[in-house]
Amino acid sequence: MATLELASITKDFGAHKVLSGIDLAIRDREFVVFVGPSGCGKSTLLRIIAGLEAATSGRILIDGQDVSDAAPVDRGISMVFQSYALYPHLSIFENIAFPLRVARLPEAEVKAKVARAADILQLTDKLALKPGQLSGGQRQRVAIGRSIVRNPKVFLFDEPLSNLDAALRGEMRVELSALQRDLDATMVYVTHDQIEAMTMAHRIVVLNKGRIEQFGSPMELYHHPATRFVATFIGQPNMNLIPATVAGTGAEGLTVDFHDGTRMTLPVDPAGAHPGDRVEVGVRPENLRLGQGLAMRLRVLERLGGTTIAYGMLADGLKLCAALPGDTTVHEGEDVGLTFTPADAHVFDAQGRVMRRRQAPALAA
Amino acid sequence: MTLVADGTAAPQRTRRKALSDRAFAWILIAPAVLFIVAIVAWPLVETIRLSFTNASLAGEDYVGLANYEKLFQGGKFTEIIVRTFVWMFFSVSLKLILGLIGASLLMAAVPGQALFRILIMPPWVIPIAMGCLGWLWLFNGDFGIISGVAQAIGLTDGPFAFLAYRNSAFWAAIVTDAWVGTPMVTLFFLAAMQGVSRDLYEAAWVDGASRWYRFRRITIPQIMPVIVSMALMSAIWTFNSFEIIWILTQGGPRGGTTTMIIDTYKVAIANLQFGEGAARAVIIVIMLALFSLLYLWVLGRVNRKYGVK
Repeated sequence: MATLELASITKDFGAHKVLSGIDLAIRDREFVVFVGPSGCGKSTLLRIIAGLEAATSGRILIDGQDVSDAAPVDRGISMVFQSYALYPHLSIFENIAFPLRVARLPEAEVKAKVARAADILQLTDKLALKPGQLSGGQRQRVAIGRSIVRNPKVFLFDEPLSNLDAALRGEMRVELSALQRDLDATMVYVTHDQIEAMTMAHRIVVLNKGRIEQFGSPMELYHHPATRFVATFIGQPNMNLIPATVAGTGAEGLTVDFHDGTRMTLPVDPAGAHPGDRVEVGVRPENLRLGQGLAMRLRVLERLGGTTIAYGMLADGLKLCAALPGDTTVHEGEDVGLTFTPADAHVFDAQGRVMRRRQAPALAA
Repeated sequence: MTLVADGTAAPQRTRRKALSDRAFAWILIAPAVLFIVAIVAWPLVETIRLSFTNASLAGEDYVGLANYEKLFQGGKFTEIIVRTFVWMFFSVSLKLILGLIGASLLMAAVPGQALFRILIMPPWVIPIAMGCLGWLWLFNGDFGIISGVAQAIGLTDGPFAFLAYRNSAFWAAIVTDAWVGTPMVTLFFLAAMQGVSRDLYEAAWVDGASRWYRFRRITIPQIMPVIVSMALMSAIWTFNSFEIIWILTQGGPRGGTTTMIIDTYKVAIANLQFGEGAARAVIIVIMLALFSLLYLWVLGRVNRKYGVK
């Protein structure tokens, strides 16, 4: 198994900059997920690691070895494609055996390796079939099988679950996490789905417009988003952003005035903030509760059972979302008050940078 | 389905409605049926009838199987059949091989790709007669560029008229037929190759498969259904190909390029032996029918084998 290091990777398509200055160090046996909106460059970055695409500049090191100019096969990586890329004319056995056939391994070895992979992925009774005869989840497993038999240093996954239905996706997430543990492998996984990122990753790389916004563990990203972008991208439903004006700074933190006149002191480092500065206060829906505070008119309620998601609007037209206890007795069209604990607030300056929180929860390992 | 309260009236109404539906359907397809009867069925039946007569301009009498017996006497007709299949085999093979090479080259991501794709079309889109006239000149011994180049580089001692000798005329006709037929085969192969998912090639590339390996184990199997259907269809077309040989050699010299279709034309139309010509045509129909059956059977198998549903 192996470490993977990216040093100042850039990629231009003509005048269009897809990636700029990507620096990243992935540890041995780490499951790292690249997540970001479509067009953020995450797939391009993965293809550069695979060697399917050449970086405009920068270096790629696998296990300390510079592979920037190596052919894909010489990098010790394997890749699972979004479309699975199974060969429709070959049996499942031959699909899994493909890389071994390319390498001209002896028949006995091919059989043993395919049998082992099929055993891990519960495909043993499917080996004689063709890909067209398998379900989406099984095809996905065949694609994974094909990458397992190569015994790569680094596994690469390009949105492998996006062609599956929601239930199967949930199932495959668990299987992939278990597989990563069983194989003890370094894995890099690309997705646009923040739930996949949160549930599977040891660490997440949030990409936006070709740059790394933040690289950290799921809970780090959740509790300490470095930027406004990460704060709104991670977490479901999305974090609320409430505009406010700085009223003053002090030892207890930053005092802000909301548009409705409410004043609050938030325990964050007010680094460089001056009275009169415009800031945004970020509060996660799950940190909002009913009480004396912001006056909101409820527009839509989504009752999920354990939770009730309440969507509403403040007097100035700002839309808010609150995750309330399931049995909350509120009604659509009703005016309610919403409040939150100052320690739960995130504050972003006009550039979208976060002011460090002082009383954030301790991070889970 | 409708449920009706009145159990007796409903079925009657449906039956009457069904009848009128059926009549209406017949009215709709009648023009097509008449058309097919007029231009396919009737001529076919008439040809079969004629093949049992000695029809000529002088009139016709029933002669039973005499035309067929005469055909297979002396071995001349067998020779023509063999020549037809040799002609078909080499011309089709040439078209397929050149088509595969051409399509692979046209897949290459080079500047001006679209232009190259257009440039291969002329042999196919210009009238066959024009193309063949061009080849007549190329094959000409005194003025032809092929003979000229062959002389210049010392391949031949003097002028060589390709169409003047039985063997060289036969091969010249194959080359011309392949020249006309290759562009279409190439375009079909190109379209099929473009339909192969890029991911398959990238997956194989990541696994270390060379260009040739990818061509052999991905491209060929993936486009196999198209290769097979092009092979069988172009076999039928080549079997039936008339104008190219007729313009180049009219089946000569001394029958060296006479295929079954040329032979049939000569007997039936040039020599006005309608009965004997019809017997030849019937044999062609039987062969092509067998070919079509083979085509459907092979295509079904290939589609199943290569995972096309």
